[in-house]
Amino acid sequence: MSLPHPLLRALAGAAALALLATPALAKEWTKVVIATEGAYAPYNLHAPDGKLIGFEIDLANDLCARVKLTCEFVAQDWDGIIPGLNAGKYDAIMDGMSITAKRLEVINFSRAYTRSPTTFAVEKTSPLAHMPDTGKRVSLDDKAATEAAIKELTPALKGKIIGVQIATIQADLLNTYFKGVVEIRTYKTTEEHDLDLAAGRVDAALASTSYFVSTLSKPGGDKLVLAGPLFTGGLLGQGTGVGLRKSDPELKELFDRAISEAIADGTIRTLSLKWFKTDISPPPSS
Amino acid sequence: MDLGGYFTLIGFGPAGWGDQLLAAALMTLAVSASAFFASLAFGLVGAAAKLAPSALLRGLAEAYTTIFRGVPDLLVIYLFYFGGSQALSALGHLFGHAGFLGLNAFMVGTLAVGLVAGAYQTEVIRGAYFAIPPGEIEAARAVGMGRLLMLRRITGPRALRFALPGMGNVWQQVLKESALISVTGLAEILREIHIGAGSTHLPFDFYVTGFFLYLALTTLSGFLFRGAEAWTMRAERRPA
Repeated sequence: MSLPHPLLRALAGAAALALLATPALAKEWTKVVIATEGAYAPYNLHAPDGKLIGFEIDLANDLCARVKLTCEFVAQDWDGIIPGLNAGKYDAIMDGMSITAKRLEVINFSRAYTRSPTTFAVEKTSPLAHMPDTGKRVSLDDKAATEAAIKELTPALKGKIIGVQIATIQADLLNTYFKGVVEIRTYKTTEEHDLDLAAGRVDAALASTSYFVSTLSKPGGDKLVLAGPLFTGGLLGQGTGVGLRKSDPELKELFDRAISEAIADGTIRTLSLKWFKTDISPPPSS
Repeated sequence: MDLGGYFTLIGFGPAGWGDQLLAAALMTLAVSASAFFASLAFGLVGAAAKLAPSALLRGLAEAYTTIFRGVPDLLVIYLFYFGGSQALSALGHLFGHAGFLGLNAFMVGTLAVGLVAGAYQTEVIRGAYFAIPPGEIEAARAVGMGRLLMLRRITGPRALRFALPGMGNVWQQVLKESALISVTGLAEILREIHIGAGSTHLPFDFYVTGFFLYLALTTLSGFLFRGAEAWTMRAERRPA
């Protein structure tokens, strides 16, 4: 996903420069304020009583305990979540945010704490349900494999309408590999393309499998099926990580250490199975 | 849509979002009311400037209404909320303040929506002033009233009576535009139904609820404004 707006990106860059310009003191971290959307189930969501819950809330509590940080969450809309970090409103972002080259220009990331492939969801009755390479892992870092997969998919997807959330790595994927082949329809939220998929206004939706797992478990989800290759790597990034300011390398070290421990002892796997019903923990070496 | 399930969802039980939605509706009312009163203040100053003899004041007021009626409200909110905190923090750094400085979401919303609505309010009040029959002002002058006394006894009350329907429209506009403040994370109706929809994956239920919440607020306040209009009209001659 990219930043919401070029102007905001420019402002964020200006803020990053301003922060870098001030002498960076090695900071002793005791308290960390983490921003999250609170509307991206099951990564982060609100319970009916207004309490923040979700995979990332459980994970943050675990990570912070490992490195003796007091962590506090603030709910923040997705639009402007990166400028808010660079402006110093909070110290970290945990919002299912993928680590991408574009974002790394503006902020830093911890190592990945999830890696969920991107794929299509279609109606069971659609001819697209039998798309080529369904369930096959395709790494976009592997040029030959990527080209082969695109070549196979192109005839099947020709002229189809694909729904995708705006300013996401999934939208980047469509724009890079399927521009001119499919009609790309962007939505403000993933729920909106799900609704239009159910209504038949789009032929397929593209999002991460971790997201679609929850879609399939909701009312009406039994009419849908996942199809096409499981894309990872490349412009899809290395997974989701904790977004941090470039000026806080000490905080990155703390989060990296805690995440490595939590991957190694299976905590992330357990939390992933609890919230996503599937294991999207990253491989230990990544 | 299963109706029993729906009422559990938006009700006040342990699995219900009722208290969150009610708090959000009150937040929408609070931020709209603040923005409306801010717009009244901006509108009064703007209208006074437009009616002033000074060309500079008239020019400033003209620039204000042209700018704020000509740009999207959402842009003004972004500018104040993100741009404003950026500018404030940079200013703070200059003076040795290391942390984050920013306006809170409620203040930004009040100011941004208030400024835009104030531009419309300026025109409403100016138009109302011109609707006063010139004979009434001449009569007031003829009996020797000063400017302030005339404002209090004649032009003020008369302009208010002509401005009221237009102000009702501005209020409806403010109420709907308060939804744009949701981008700052302020827990008003739109933000709360977005949270609810994203948390439960039941967008239809929540957006329908939001629809009725806004409709209830606009309809109720519509009645109040119509009541106020009837009250100020009570001395007017009715059409035969």
